Amino acid sequence: MKKKLWDPVFGGVMIGIAIILTFYISGRGLGASGALTAFAATIQNWILPSVTQSSEYFSKYFANGANPLNDYLVFLVIGVMIGSFIAGIVSKDMKLEVLKGPNISNKGRLWYALVGGVLVGYAARMARGCTSGQALVGGAELSVGAWAFMFSIFAGGFAVAYFIRRQWI
Amino acid sequence: MIGPLVKNGIISGGVNTLFAVLIGILFGYALQRSGFTNSKKIAAAFYMKDVDVPVVMFTAIITASIGLWGLSLLGLIDLGKFYFLPSYLLPMVVGGFIFGIGMAVGGFCPGTSIASMVTGKIDAMVFVGGFLLGSLLFGDLYPLWDKFYNSDSNGVWRIDQLFNINVGLAVLLVTLLGVFGSIGMRKLQYKFWGKND
Repeated sequence: MKKKLWDPVFGGVMIGIAIILTFYISGRGLGASGALTAFAATIQNWILPSVTQSSEYFSKYFANGANPLNDYLVFLVIGVMIGSFIAGIVSKDMKLEVLKGPNISNKGRLWYALVGGVLVGYAARMARGCTSGQALVGGAELSVGAWAFMFSIFAGGFAVAYFIRRQWI
Repeated sequence: MIGPLVKNGIISGGVNTLFAVLIGILFGYALQRSGFTNSKKIAAAFYMKDVDVPVVMFTAIITASIGLWGLSLLGLIDLGKFYFLPSYLLPMVVGGFIFGIGMAVGGFCPGTSIASMVTGKIDAMVFVGGFLLGSLLFGDLYPLWDKFYNSDSNGVWRIDQLFNINVGLAVLLVTLLGVFGSIGMRKLQYKFWGKND
């Protein structure tokens, strides 16, 4: 039996405290998308170095022998993996499975996951961050752009929800 | 001790990195225990079927905002050494809209997909693979959108500056928006769908 989830207000306060700690200790916010993009750039630089080096966006990741994986956000994301893994074990929610609504096949769900991932990967770079690094952190900093980003996320999600309802409900 | 600790030389860069891992552990633990490793729960927010996700987000923003500006008010953090995120309004609005579509389709955002992947969720693993491809698409074809990406640059632009009000009042407004937004969405959920599954 899975353990009951935290109350959402308690969960929000805990995430808020994690953000305050990065503010106070490091003078910046946390984030998740930056580490994933650094990882993607590193893999591409390993397989197709010429493509990476000729990209105006990625070449600066490796300028002067820099290693994009030696980055604050990469270490933070390693922590996220450890923390979620521990939580998965203590709450008995460690299982190889595909989560989806009742009206779609596993294969169908995984295609949606892939397409959604590509869209979010592209959009996180366009918006200079994601739900954590831009919406939560920027929201707390009172950034106008971050609040506009967050309302746009909900607008985009609500706009498309009806057309993909087969997947979820 | 006045923050930011690493920028004031109170802790070293190595200790700062160690803290990054520890804060990540707290963040990952809280994401999983809030149910954010479940794509169905995240997507349910876009149907108002389970509004826990926006409630957690609003609460986290309110907490962190009161924390940041409260520390500053108490003189415990030097904001001159703080890195504020810059606003690029139009790219953030367009990026946010595409992000929202991707979140409803994929069932995750980047942080939640990483947290979910390590608990064995296969849809999260595929989503992360898609994310890597999507960010490569952005970077490798960068000349196609670099003008738009760098347009509408507003520098550090905050709500208190937008409305020409005191920072404390802006924090209060954001808090009220979060509290009433959460209550309002919960009422809509109960009206149309009832309690969480």
